[in-house]
Amino acid sequence: MVQETVLDLRDLTINFGGLVAVDSLNMTVKKGEAVGLIGPNGAGKTTVFNLISGFYKPTRGDVVFMNEKITGLAPYDVCRKGIGRTFQIVKPFGKMTVLENVMVGGFSRTRNPQECRQIAAEVVEMVGLGSKKDALAKNLTIGDRKRLEVAKALATRPEILLLDEVLAGLNPTEVDESVELIKEINASGITIVMIEHVLQATMAICNRIVVLDYGKKIAEGTPAEVTQDPEVIKAYLGDEYETTVN
Amino acid sequence: MVKNMTNENKNRLVAGIVLLIAVLIPLVLDKPYYIHVLTMCLLWAYLASAWNIVGGFAGQLSLGHGIYTSVGAYVTVILFNEFGLSPLLGMFFGAGAAVLVSLIIGLPTFGLRGAYYALSTVAISEGLVVLYENTMTIGGLRLGGAEGLIVKLIGDAPLHLQFTSKIPYYYIALVMLLLIIGLSKWITKSRLGYYLVALREDEDGARALGIDVRRTKLIAGALSAFCAAIGGIFYAMLIRYLEPQAIAGAAMSTQMVFLAIVGGAGTVMGPVIGGILLALISEIIRFYLGGYVMGLHLFIYGLIVVLMIIYKPGGIIEVVEHYYRRLMNFRDREVASGAGDSSGS
Ligand SMILES: Nc1ncnc2c1ncn2[C@@H]1O[C@H](COP(=O)(O)OP(=O)(O)OP(=O)(O)O)[C@@H](O)[C@H]1O
Ligand SMILES: [Mg+2]
Repeated sequence: MVQETVLDLRDLTINFGGLVAVDSLNMTVKKGEAVGLIGPNGAGKTTVFNLISGFYKPTRGDVVFMNEKITGLAPYDVCRKGIGRTFQIVKPFGKMTVLENVMVGGFSRTRNPQECRQIAAEVVEMVGLGSKKDALAKNLTIGDRKRLEVAKALATRPEILLLDEVLAGLNPTEVDESVELIKEINASGITIVMIEHVLQATMAICNRIVVLDYGKKIAEGTPAEVTQDPEVIKAYLGDEYETTVN
Repeated sequence: MVKNMTNENKNRLVAGIVLLIAVLIPLVLDKPYYIHVLTMCLLWAYLASAWNIVGGFAGQLSLGHGIYTSVGAYVTVILFNEFGLSPLLGMFFGAGAAVLVSLIIGLPTFGLRGAYYALSTVAISEGLVVLYENTMTIGGLRLGGAEGLIVKLIGDAPLHLQFTSKIPYYYIALVMLLLIIGLSKWITKSRLGYYLVALREDEDGARALGIDVRRTKLIAGALSAFCAAIGGIFYAMLIRYLEPQAIAGAAMSTQMVFLAIVGGAGTVMGPVIGGILLALISEIIRFYLGGYVMGLHLFIYGLIVVLMIIYKPGGIIEVVEHYYRRLMNFRDREVASGAGDSSGS
């Protein structure tokens, strides 16, 4: 495996008033990896994505992408550099069809509508929305909206894809399908960082997991290591999990 | 025969027939009053379409497009009155000035969301009206203040866009309308159109997909201002008189918005249909009722607009399209595709 670093977060910190939502976070992601970012509600996971993707400017620290400092770049620039993201609260373009939604992402790589339609059609097919490509996005079920969210980001041809709880709200069959989809995306060479509460699924996909609590990284390692970590068990998994493990 | 045609070809056929009728109308209706009313219908359809670029596709509720019609018109008329520059050339200065103004206004205001943008456009356009009304001259150039500015009459001079007959104006308005329909259609099929609808539907979602939201809004705003200015200039040439309230005031600004929204904002043909239909209705009401009670025609007109907005928020285009599809036996699965534009042509 090539050990080239794709994403490097250095001492990344952001304050909201008195609240330190992300606190001195150091984290690297290598090319081709699938990294899980977990932690309790309000731990700062989404905020990390917002910092990487340019929606928030850090109070301190840097975001380095492919050896280039991209701290403070606008979201559209970050996207064009090759970082795709989805939103925990999905953001479909309601009055556009599924295909048109995905084309918006495709246009970041080509100006040509025909070519863009082609890219989008492939991506739509890949995420399993082929039969619904002409449906209006506002009429999709939550499961399909999550898929659409992934498809839009994929169409921007990212080097790295940031997935924010794309499994939340799905039924078990849909979770399995999405897990396969994410694995497939990863296998195609796209590096993945995913925020997830569904632990089983995270472990099925990720070779490394980073645990956040109150904005701080409290653990990092393979799924097995992380779930054995007493600090993690205390902070995130809680007593229930501890008892089931033992 | 029609049965076996594709939807696309049916559209072409209907468009051809409508166009033919539009071209032939002046030969049948020869009263100048009728021609004038029809010309105004085309102009309103044009202006609503101009507004629609930024107000409809991009969803930025500008309530101050009178700024651009008036800047375009004043600049062009002043250049003509004072220096004898033909409006055919002057319009590029007029429309260029409007584009500049749109950028100056857009830079600080396009960052604002929702109602704040709308409110700032109202404030700026109302301020501009007051400015026009209180400025007799600037640097020796006559603006005319509240009395307004008369376009110098030089008789039948096609190269200066002056005609004694009403008919040439009608055809110019028709060509302008065709051009802006073409432009709108191009927008819906291009990247710009997709970007505009995307940022209208969700700004953050659009940003995350590589869209420079502010820049895209500025482009749409400039395009819209350019087209609106050309409309204002045509209006000045047609009426030969610029009055601040009429060219820059709420009458102009809100009318453009009403026509587009009632017709169907964000679609290619909605503002066109809205513009023609409502301008016609308003003229008919005025013709028959205007003499009875002052302002009654405005009241009835307002009522129609309100009822439309309540009961058909998607605009007249939805109704028209529904019956059109039935009438033409459209095949259902053949969906016209474009950036969120369900109307097609
Ligand atoms: N724009 C903001 N302004 C103020 N506080 C914020 C802002 N964004 C996030 N926060 C706060 O930062 C903390 C971390 O929020 P964040 O959304 O990153 O958590 P999370 O780990 O994604 O949680 P969840 O699992 O519930 O999605 C929370 O306390 C949140 O209220
Ligand atoms: Mg979150």
